[in-house]
Amino acid sequence: MGLKPATNPDVEAATIELSIDGRTVSAKDGVSLYDVIASTGKIIPAMCYHYTFDPFGSCGMCLVMQEGKKAPVRSCTAKAAAGMVIRTDGDDLFAARKKAVEKHLSVHPLDCPVCDADGHCELQDMAFQHGVTNLANAKQKFIPEDTRSLVLDFNMNRCIACAECINVCKDVLMIDALQFMKKGGFNQVVAKGDQPLACEFCGDCLAVCPVGAITNKYSKYLYKPWQMKKTTTTCNYCGDGCQMHLETKDTEVVRVTSPLSWKNKWGDRTETAKGHGGLCVRGRFGFQYIDSEQRLRQPLVRTGETLTDTPWLDTMQTVIDRLSDIHRKHGPESIAGLITARCTNEELYLFQKLMRAGLRTNQLDSSARYGHLNYVHAVRQAVGVGRPLNDWEDLTKAKAILVIGSNITETNPLTAVRIKEAIRVYRSQVIVVDSANTNIAQLASHPLLVKPGSESFLIDGLVKSVIEQDLVDEATTARHPQAFAALKEAMAQVSLDHISAQTGISAEQIREVAAIFAEAPRAIALCAEGIVRQPNGYHNVLKLIDLAWVTGKLGQPGSGVTTVTEEVNEQGAVDMGVAPEFLPGQARFDDPSARERFGKAWDVTLPASASGANFLEILARIRNGQIKALYVIGENPLATLPASMDVKGTLEKLQLLIVQDPFLTETGKMAHVVLPAATYAEKEGTFTNLEGKVLRVRQAVDQVGESLPDWHIMTALANGLGYDWTYESPQDVQNEIMKLLPGYYNLGQPRRVSPSADAYLSNGYAAEVASRYRNHTAQSTPNDGTQPFTLLTGQVLYHSGKMSTRASGLINIEPNNGRIRMNPADVERLGLNEQSTIRLTSRQGSVQAGVKADPDIQPGSCFFPEHFNEPAVKDLMIVDVDAVTGVPYFKSTRVKIEKVGA
Amino acid sequence: MSVGALTKKILQAALFYEIWDAMKVTFKHMFHRPITFQYPREQRTIPDGHRGALGLLRYGDGRDRCVGCDLCEAACPSRCIKVISQEDPERPLQRFASEFYIDITKCVFCGYCVEACPVNALAMTKMYEYSTHDKRTLLFDKKRLYEVGERHLEDAKKYLYAHNQEKNSDESREYRYYFPQSVLKPTQSQPKHLS
Repeated sequence: MGLKPATNPDVEAATIELSIDGRTVSAKDGVSLYDVIASTGKIIPAMCYHYTFDPFGSCGMCLVMQEGKKAPVRSCTAKAAAGMVIRTDGDDLFAARKKAVEKHLSVHPLDCPVCDADGHCELQDMAFQHGVTNLANAKQKFIPEDTRSLVLDFNMNRCIACAECINVCKDVLMIDALQFMKKGGFNQVVAKGDQPLACEFCGDCLAVCPVGAITNKYSKYLYKPWQMKKTTTTCNYCGDGCQMHLETKDTEVVRVTSPLSWKNKWGDRTETAKGHGGLCVRGRFGFQYIDSEQRLRQPLVRTGETLTDTPWLDTMQTVIDRLSDIHRKHGPESIAGLITARCTNEELYLFQKLMRAGLRTNQLDSSARYGHLNYVHAVRQAVGVGRPLNDWEDLTKAKAILVIGSNITETNPLTAVRIKEAIRVYRSQVIVVDSANTNIAQLASHPLLVKPGSESFLIDGLVKSVIEQDLVDEATTARHPQAFAALKEAMAQVSLDHISAQTGISAEQIREVAAIFAEAPRAIALCAEGIVRQPNGYHNVLKLIDLAWVTGKLGQPGSGVTTVTEEVNEQGAVDMGVAPEFLPGQARFDDPSARERFGKAWDVTLPASASGANFLEILARIRNGQIKALYVIGENPLATLPASMDVKGTLEKLQLLIVQDPFLTETGKMAHVVLPAATYAEKEGTFTNLEGKVLRVRQAVDQVGESLPDWHIMTALANGLGYDWTYESPQDVQNEIMKLLPGYYNLGQPRRVSPSADAYLSNGYAAEVASRYRNHTAQSTPNDGTQPFTLLTGQVLYHSGKMSTRASGLINIEPNNGRIRMNPADVERLGLNEQSTIRLTSRQGSVQAGVKADPDIQPGSCFFPEHFNEPAVKDLMIVDVDAVTGVPYFKSTRVKIEKVGA
Repeated sequence: MSVGALTKKILQAALFYEIWDAMKVTFKHMFHRPITFQYPREQRTIPDGHRGALGLLRYGDGRDRCVGCDLCEAACPSRCIKVISQEDPERPLQRFASEFYIDITKCVFCGYCVEACPVNALAMTKMYEYSTHDKRTLLFDKKRLYEVGERHLEDAKKYLYAHNQEKNSDESREYRYYFPQSVLKPTQSQPKHLS
């Protein structure tokens, strides 16, 4: 590690004093002199400097005079030392800097007019500032442009060899996809080994490039920076909720830029613990769906077999007539609603208000049901807080991180960057438990490759070995001797040897990682889709909380059990009460005082607390004929749930299916009425990210066609049904939420939670702890040897849900090739090759697919991205329902694989 | 009134003095060269520096000069120019203007766009006759601008020389010709002005 950061959470660097331009300045010993100068407010030019990584010192611009030295020194690579006397200005320094600019410019092509960086170029600014007008020995490099990469073009004629791209890739993102290579007499940036660039395509190299050497293929030549309107908003792909700038020209989105940029280069390295400001491939290159041709531009109403374009007024009249007709004839129990967690908080709030206060039904659910609610219920049960317990800063500064069942670099790339920083800068130990050799496992100090579906055994093993090795935190367990005794008793039936056989991890390894987790001063257990979307997710999260509790990590600052979410506003959906069990603010729906408060606020009597139905119960009630009308906003159950659920047959039973979506989805095609909704770029609102931060969503473009924001449609619908809503903007909804949930709008600074399990431990814990350690079978379907493979479906880096498959930029990077990923050893063993077709057979049926060898997949398992339904791999699954939380599990099954052709 | 003055007045009235006096001007002009000329049958000679309608120019080999850099749009004080640029599908890495509009009704004929153009693709011509019944035709699109440029090529060149935008020499044309250079493959020959 180089010069920065001089301070880390454990050791504080000594304070020194030095003189800068005659002023005495105090600084931390050993930091870059450039940072010290920058901290005084004095900005000296530097083209190769960025605060997120160590100074490189190639541009020769940050020159300062140090007393006692004849020549100017480069302040970025010089360490601040006590007693230095520094001068940062003067004609000699100006001349020296001008010379450096001339040096860069003499080999730089003067093609500014056609360069995408024109007007947003540091070299241009520097040439202007230093008055460079005449270049004596200008010589062009004449290097061919490298256009082999899928998303980025490298024009090395323009490169100034500042290495910011290489440094950010290697040092911040730990991907290390770029390098310098001497070619044609010049040092050029090329992808590793001079191959076509194949990386995670986060585009942070593009963001930090101070010239136009790296350009974006998707927006090449389409713009000049000054022509675009820049809207700062929140990305709506994953739960990270990254801030980004949508840059638009008229009605089209031209590009997406990040707060990470060469323009934003001054900062303290320790600040990156809260995020370095970059984006991932989805955020930066997956914007094309916003102004896609496939967007719905008109409401559609079914006449017979076809959906026909209908004006809004007629459509709303149809919806209102039919909905109120069903409501009148069959009562409120005949209406239900589903909403996606990609809607804003305001819309989620309005949705549940429409359902509960308007239609008087508690049959509603959101996509948080697919997994996040397992985590929410577990932490609420244990510590009484219904949101992830740790933020990014905690993750960065943790000494041990247990990442279990989360392919985090793919699902939540920017949270993964926090873990990478923990590894790189703060030297933390990372234990990764997963059934595939994920990217984070390759970076981790302790990667544990477990057999698919056996993550829960490993948690048992960790708890067991913590108790066995006496690594328990005496102070916390002593406060609840009864609970601890119950846990010990439950542990008695757990044997490490059995766990070792089930998981494929030796008992020593389990003991070792348990010791690392227990002994670290700050340890975080992070669980995600591999836990909360797999059978027994609720209990497995509770087991992780047990682990954190016995090791004294629960309630201790910087430690805890946390999660990441797939959709941006899953936390907001829970907080806004879009679940039959919760009212806004996560008040229990059956809590009389909360019912009274909200009933009073909405001036209604809330539906009976027993009448609620979650997602799968809604489907069951449609099947048994109770529910006759379903209002679906942005959800697509038909394309999500396996065929064994018979969603198609279920939805056909409805008398009225209203689908509100930006696109005509599979579910939409079955609907009686389809309402065109606006995407996040066309509306105002807020998202609540996985840290609990409430982040603004701002309108960047006008709504496409006649589409309208969801809140607008819902308000119109409510007024049509006679509820007299007066919201004219999301701000009005916010005002109402602010009154009901004081302090919810935290302006990106959530209240810190101090989780305490005391209430749970002294009350109810002892009774239920044993049940969760009862050794359940590892797979939902028993393995009798006829189906030797475990098929897993999950997210890939380049996609998020089904929506990203509408973004041409992401489809260009990762199209659906219809291939099952398998370990090369399995591919060889079955006599397959890349051209083969295989048949996968589970108990639910069989599908044919191609094969792709992927060394990161464990032998005996295979993987298919959940974003695609061609072939319909999801239909091989059965749905397991969590008894406590109602979460459907359908992401893994046992299959038989046979070769069918070539 | 005196007797003399009265007599003079009567005499002048009898001899129609006012009429003769006025006719003097008329007769004088009968032998004078006319100041007006018979537009549109006669045309005025216009100086080379005249700022008339804008036209887009091509190189000698018929290629578009314009590289779609949008600098004219940025320079335009009346915001009458709109350039939409993209990569040329036939010549990779070459930027070009897929659409180009000048709203000539808004144009103030300042010539800034011509000064801003790095490749001298825009020039002003001596054309000023484009009155029309349909105002929409005054939104000049790319096709119309190239037509203007073609028809008034000589005037456009003279405008550029007169305003010192382009030198009437081979060396200068060479530089403009090869700017900006995109490099596709290493075997591509270097432009003359660089070798």
